[in-house]
Amino acid sequence: MNIIESPVQVAQQQARELPPPEQREVVFDVSDLTVSYGGSPALKNVSLDVYKNFVTAFIGPSGCGKSTFIRCFNRMNDLIPNAVVEGTILYHRQDLYGPDVDAVEVRRRIGMVFQKPNPFPKSIYDNVAFGPRVLGMTDDLDGRVERALHQAALWDEVKDRLKDGALGLSGGQQQRLCIARCLAVEPDVLLMDEPASALDPISTTRIEDLMHDLKREYTIVIVTHNMQQAARIADMTAFFSVQIENGHRSGVLVEYDATPAIFTKPADKRTEDYVTGRFG
Amino acid sequence: MRVSLQQELDQLEASLQEEGALVLRALRGCLNALGRQDAELADEVIAFDDEVDETYVAIEEGIQSLLARQTPVAIDLRNVLAVLHINLHLERMADYCVTVAKLTKLVHDTPPDGTLTEALEDMGTRAEEMIQTALDSFANRDVESAESLVDMDELIDAANRRVVHQILSISADPDLREWGLRMLLVSRCLERIGDHAVDIGEQTAFLVSGQFREFTDASH
Repeated sequence: MNIIESPVQVAQQQARELPPPEQREVVFDVSDLTVSYGGSPALKNVSLDVYKNFVTAFIGPSGCGKSTFIRCFNRMNDLIPNAVVEGTILYHRQDLYGPDVDAVEVRRRIGMVFQKPNPFPKSIYDNVAFGPRVLGMTDDLDGRVERALHQAALWDEVKDRLKDGALGLSGGQQQRLCIARCLAVEPDVLLMDEPASALDPISTTRIEDLMHDLKREYTIVIVTHNMQQAARIADMTAFFSVQIENGHRSGVLVEYDATPAIFTKPADKRTEDYVTGRFG
Repeated sequence: MRVSLQQELDQLEASLQEEGALVLRALRGCLNALGRQDAELADEVIAFDDEVDETYVAIEEGIQSLLARQTPVAIDLRNVLAVLHINLHLERMADYCVTVAKLTKLVHDTPPDGTLTEALEDMGTRAEEMIQTALDSFANRDVESAESLVDMDELIDAANRRVVHQILSISADPDLREWGLRMLLVSRCLERIGDHAVDIGEQTAFLVSGQFREFTDASH
């Protein structure tokens, strides 16, 4: 029996502790993944698991392949003509790159939010309703739009002007609208490629708070240049670095661990050099 | 390379070593005052504590500012945390020196027991060695040297026990009773200084390994 710790301390400790590996549900099982553009590898031999209801952050210097990597999770690299993906990504144990897999269905289940907010030049409502309409999810469309805007913490700010143009929203609101647009089609995973790097600190905090709330229902994978952002929001952090071989630069996964370990006692010297700012 | 962060960390560590040197001077001062029954020197030691406190506050403020601006992580974070703890340990050591000086003043006109005075001087010398070892092992990131503080502490603890027995043996003498009681507290102060030196050693091990562990289990 613990008679010294206060309930507050116990709660704080529990909030930071992750479930042990055997109790985690694997959403993505990445094995020996290599991605090449025009024959030269941008990312080499990456293996890691992404867990359900975790926020997983990818950090690393420019050119380390972290954006290339996150784009593999919803087959965005399919859209680049000379991109070749080798190795496997299992999504709930199913090969994401298998011959029978519908890339459109993949992108419904695995939504993506980009660095720069990219709303359509349509009304706020139509932006959120766009995905459900395309996919035929039109039952109770108003309710679906409202739920998505609530989940994206935008409803209170836009409920009286749903028919106004989305481009009239602030940058931070536009980014939350893009998140609502993803959520409207009931995804399983949210991929975020530097979602707050174009936003001011207040909007950044709102996005980070939002991610904290959303991970209860969704699995979130985020690429960020902001290491403190990864330290604040991520449960697991993967550090990627650049390796130069025969004059070719390619990205490699250096270390993948619980976020507190990465930022307090990283196992690899390269990780320590990067997070402490001694890189290069 | 974050040059400004590294410079600030170096500066903090330099200030910490300066504080350690001040504590060593305070300890030597209070031991001399005790041995010579010198109330004037005891007063100097008491006043000297302000210098230690100023350094303590400067380091504390430096850490606060650094944490707010630089958000250190990994080994830099551990370094800052270690300095934060060591700063407090050194300041407490200096406070014990003040206590010894005050106790010295209270009994400076009582003829001392020679054997006991020698034993306390011996404890004080060991405490000095422990402080120096603690400071050096931190500066050199030398965990082995830091762990040697445990053995040194056992010697100081044993000396403390001998002093207690000695005081018990003179307690029947009404002329020495008050002096003996004061010296019991002096002995306790020196023993505690040794404990703080071990705590500093633990911070060195934490800085190097990333894992905090007590060198000895206090519950046994």
